[in-house]
Amino acid sequence: MGTGIFLQTTLNGLMIGGVYALVAVGLTLIFGVMKIVNFAQGEFVMLGMYISWMLAHFAGIGPYEGLAISAVIMFLIGYLVFRLLIVRVIGKKDEEFILLTLGLSIFLQNAILMIFSADYLTVTSSMKDSALSFADLTLTLPRIIAFSVALTAVAVLTFLLQKTDTGRAMRACAESREIATVLGINPMRSFTLAFCIGIALAGIAGVLLTPMFYVYPGVGTLFNTTAFVVVVLGGMGSVPGALLGGLIIGIVESLTGSYVSLDLSQLGTFVIFLIVLFFRPSGLFGKRT
Amino acid sequence: MKNVKMIALICGAIFALGFPLVVHTSYYIHILFMVYLFAALGVGWNLIGGYGAQLSLGHSIFFAIGAYVPVLLMLNFHISPLIGGIAGIGLALLAAALIGLPCFRLRGPYFALATIAAGEITRTLLLHFQGVTGGANGLPIPFHGDDALNLQFSTKAPYYYLALTLLVVVFLLVRYLEKEKVGLYLAAIREDQDAAESLGVKTMHIKLLAFMLSAAIAAAGGQIYAFTVAYIDPDGVASINLSIEIATVVIVGGIGRLWGPVLGAAVVILLTELTNIYLGAMRSGASLGMYGLLLIIVILLRPDGLISLFDRFDPELNKKGSK
Repeated sequence: MGTGIFLQTTLNGLMIGGVYALVAVGLTLIFGVMKIVNFAQGEFVMLGMYISWMLAHFAGIGPYEGLAISAVIMFLIGYLVFRLLIVRVIGKKDEEFILLTLGLSIFLQNAILMIFSADYLTVTSSMKDSALSFADLTLTLPRIIAFSVALTAVAVLTFLLQKTDTGRAMRACAESREIATVLGINPMRSFTLAFCIGIALAGIAGVLLTPMFYVYPGVGTLFNTTAFVVVVLGGMGSVPGALLGGLIIGIVESLTGSYVSLDLSQLGTFVIFLIVLFFRPSGLFGKRT
Repeated sequence: MKNVKMIALICGAIFALGFPLVVHTSYYIHILFMVYLFAALGVGWNLIGGYGAQLSLGHSIFFAIGAYVPVLLMLNFHISPLIGGIAGIGLALLAAALIGLPCFRLRGPYFALATIAAGEITRTLLLHFQGVTGGANGLPIPFHGDDALNLQFSTKAPYYYLALTLLVVVFLLVRYLEKEKVGLYLAAIREDQDAAESLGVKTMHIKLLAFMLSAAIAAAGGQIYAFTVAYIDPDGVASINLSIEIATVVIVGGIGRLWGPVLGAAVVILLTELTNIYLGAMRSGASLGMYGLLLIIVILLRPDGLISLFDRFDPELNKKGSK
């Protein structure tokens, strides 16, 4: 029985880790290209969850059917935020960007609180209770879908970064903004795109989470901190690192939750975070600076 | 100009000292209490966050230690908070050393992230060890009649003066340090850490010293807050929101400026109270949303803070041609 529970817990963690990876990939993309940490990333996950809820509530579109619509809306929100706020602090001190996105994070959280109140909302899906069983192990369908979509999104992004001109331009900006400019690349275009894609990925993660999580204004904080941990663990700016980091953190959290104490499940994550920060701040895949 | 400053200062002092004698509405006294408390916390945070430019987003840790230690000692062992408070400050100093030592090896966003993680660990632990801390339910401090030794007063005025005293002491301390070597070293670290290090500034020592002092101030603030409100819980005294609120007060007023946090606290607390009055009754989240909005607006329009609006009236600053 022991191993059965262990395997089940690990598998659950792995599935949710896919979603963490998705949030973190967005964060790491923004960091890699723009060299800035978006402290409001979790709030964009929260916005994605609310968009998914609104689509279901007002238009009767389920989360999975509306995934593309939500992603597009989030991309546009990302563009709006970039144009209105982010563009003004590019090239300024780290602190200004940290504080700006922190301010944005509190503002979004409380604006949503004012509009929707603190009620816990749920999004139902016909697939919510379906599950696959194999031997002693059971996996609910939403977890499997979340995991698969997350992996697919990361694969698509990797393809975009490696094989297309747009992606190459973004990677060039990540290497050196000056040299990229000299080579005729418009860094602002890469910045905009990286930011919008990063936000859209957070939104997609939010949509995938709605069938499993309650939707409430503070839910983003949970993902904010987790995403930081994942990104630092994987190496700031590394997409494969964020993927692997997400899976690891998902499993660690799940194991701490069942073997230590449910309310300490995040503690294991933070401890790993501090250990990585102190002993290998460049992360698993990051470049040493 | 010096005279104008002097007159303003004297008027301010008379106002601050006389307010509770004239106004007896405890709500208004409480608002000013919060202004002084956050001003003191901000002036303390400024030491490391402003002068040293090490953005700590974990000051709630020290505030929480300062709040929980004397309350727990009083509730469990009947130890006067006057002694418990010293224990709290001592523990906060220790915590600051333990957190600072590893975290100050990190730079920029990494340092901010590490302090957030340390803050979240503190909050999670406070929630988890319910047997001691009361968990999410928090700890109410029962009132047993006026008792100065236990910091229990039936009116708000004594707490008001406690917070005011804290602010004055902290302000004078930081004003003194600003002109001392420590202040200059911190400024050197803010401008260029590597250059400072290569010129022989022991950056780790200086940052630790500023961080610990700043932590002790936060702990003192936490203690005064706990006994004034007579109730503490992890979400109230150990949340990341509190850390951000302290930083917001400083940034809105003027980061790295002596009067910045004082002005910032006045503006931010009064604005939040106004939002609470006009919007809070119908909408929760209004006052915190205000913090976020203020932070965004100030960073975009006046990154030097509101205090920089007064700079043009200061001939000393204009003469030197600095900003």
